[in-house]
Parts: sequence; C-alpha cells; structure tokens
Amino acid sequence: MEEQNINPEQSMQIIQSMINRAQNNVSDNGFYFIFWGWLVFATSLMFYFTLKMDMQYGWLVWSLMPLGGIYTGIYSYYQHRKYNPDVQKKVKTYAEIYLGYLWIAFGISIFTILFMMGKLGEATYPLVINLYAIGTFVSGGILRFKPLIIGGACSFAIAIFSFFTPFENQVLLIALSLLVSYIIPGHLLRNKFKSQ
Amino acid sequence: MKELDPLLHSQLRLGIISLLISVKEAEFTHLKDETNSTAGNLSIQLQKLKEAGYIEIEKTFKDNYPQTTCKITKLGIKAFENYVKDIQQYIKPKK
Repeated sequence: MEEQNINPEQSMQIIQSMINRAQNNVSDNGFYFIFWGWLVFATSLMFYFTLKMDMQYGWLVWSLMPLGGIYTGIYSYYQHRKYNPDVQKKVKTYAEIYLGYLWIAFGISIFTILFMMGKLGEATYPLVINLYAIGTFVSGGILRFKPLIIGGACSFAIAIFSFFTPFENQVLLIALSLLVSYIIPGHLLRNKFKSQ
Repeated sequence: MKELDPLLHSQLRLGIISLLISVKEAEFTHLKDETNSTAGNLSIQLQKLKEAGYIEIEKTFKDNYPQTTCKITKLGIKAFENYVKDIQQYIKPKK
C-alpha cells in the first residue's frame, strides 16, 4: 500500500476489506477436533469390544484419555513456543480466546460428569454426548464453520436418543457422535485451513 | 463538515487500524503481509500511530528472534469509531 491521498469511498473500502480479511481467516487447523475425535472414537469402540467379550478390566482402555491430554498439552506448548514460521502464531484473534474459555468449561464439565458417574448411572454417556454436542456447536458458531454446527446439532439428537438405549449401545453412540461432530468436521476444517 | 482525523485518513494507517480492530493482537509480519506494505514504511506508520496513543507496540524476543506485537488501544478504538462516523457524512447522499 502506497501512501497517497484517499477519498471517503476508498476509506470505506479499505476498512471493509481489512475487516473481511480478519474474519475470513480460519485460525483453527482442526488438529484438536481430529486428534480427540479419532482417539475417543477408537477408544469407545475398543471399550465396546471389551464389554462384548466380558473382559474384566475393559474400562482400563479409558486410561488413553489422560495420555491424550498430555499429548495435546505438549502439542499446544510447542505450537506457541517453537520458532517455526509455519506454526508460529502471527495473530491472536478473539475467536481463539472465546474457544479457550469454551473448552475449559467443557473440560470441567466432563470431569464433573465422569466423577459423578455413580450418581448419574445410565444417564452418564448421554450427558457426555450432549456435552460433545455443545463443544462443536459453539465452536462452529465462533469459527463460523457450518459443518461443526451441523455435526453438533446431530450429536444433540444422538444424545436424546441415547437416553433410551441400553448402556452397551450407548458406547457405540459415543463413537457415532465423534464421527459426525468431530472427525468429519475436523477434517473439513483442516482442508479449509490448508487451502487458504 | 468535520475534518477527518489526518492520522487515520491514510491508506496504510487506516488499513492497520482496521486490521487491529478485529483481532486481539497481531505481529508485525502479519500486518505486513495483510496490508502488502514494505517493512520500512510499515514501521514508520506504526510509530506514528503509537505516538498518537492509538496502538501499543510490544517488542519481545521469542527463542532469540525479535518479535513485534501490535495492539489497538481504547483511544485507538474511539478514534476509529469517530473516523467512521465522520466519513459517513461525506458518503451520505446530499438532500
């Protein structure tokens, strides 16, 4: 941009184009959606398998969750620290800040639900699915990315349906919920991020 | 008609402020890419905006690489809002 005299119409154009640029950039590469989507998807299928086989310590597969937590922690640390022009954050958007609060709330809620499993009984997994729905539905709104919103909406429906489903099959519904609201939209988000 | 804020009535400075108004903070290189400006010119314009108190500039080192982060101030947001309001007088069809 050269320094020159501008008229009011040009001023408005500059303002519009700059604000549009900031809004159209997808700041999320979909990593967390894809990573957690596949991890929980695979874990819930494994868990379903151990239930079917009547394995005594089947629930131990869920210990993959804290491992996943450690891995994403390390990933986000390097994402912010390492000098690498490709991953280095050049701009901090409000969307990222809102997303941060959303996922902290998500983490606290999922911890509470799982901790209260004894009281919640068979309502536990439906509530977890409902929480998955909130996570992607709101993320989709913040990022203005329709596939996440649609995926979240599907999980809301799956959550209701799962209340009327026996425990074993609820585990399969968790896998379905992750497929439609995390894995598929996550990969679509990554494609959009890469193509810009 | 009100005089337009001369600090904002410039292509590059207006571009910078419009970019910063929609994000929390942005690095020098990001501003450079988005506004298609040269590093030298961008530095000068950023300095002018800083002297007016419209933006804050923070210089840090990140793993031994210098890093300049820019952020709009409350005064800058106010100035931008006033500028947009003023400019509407010029654009509105005359009755």
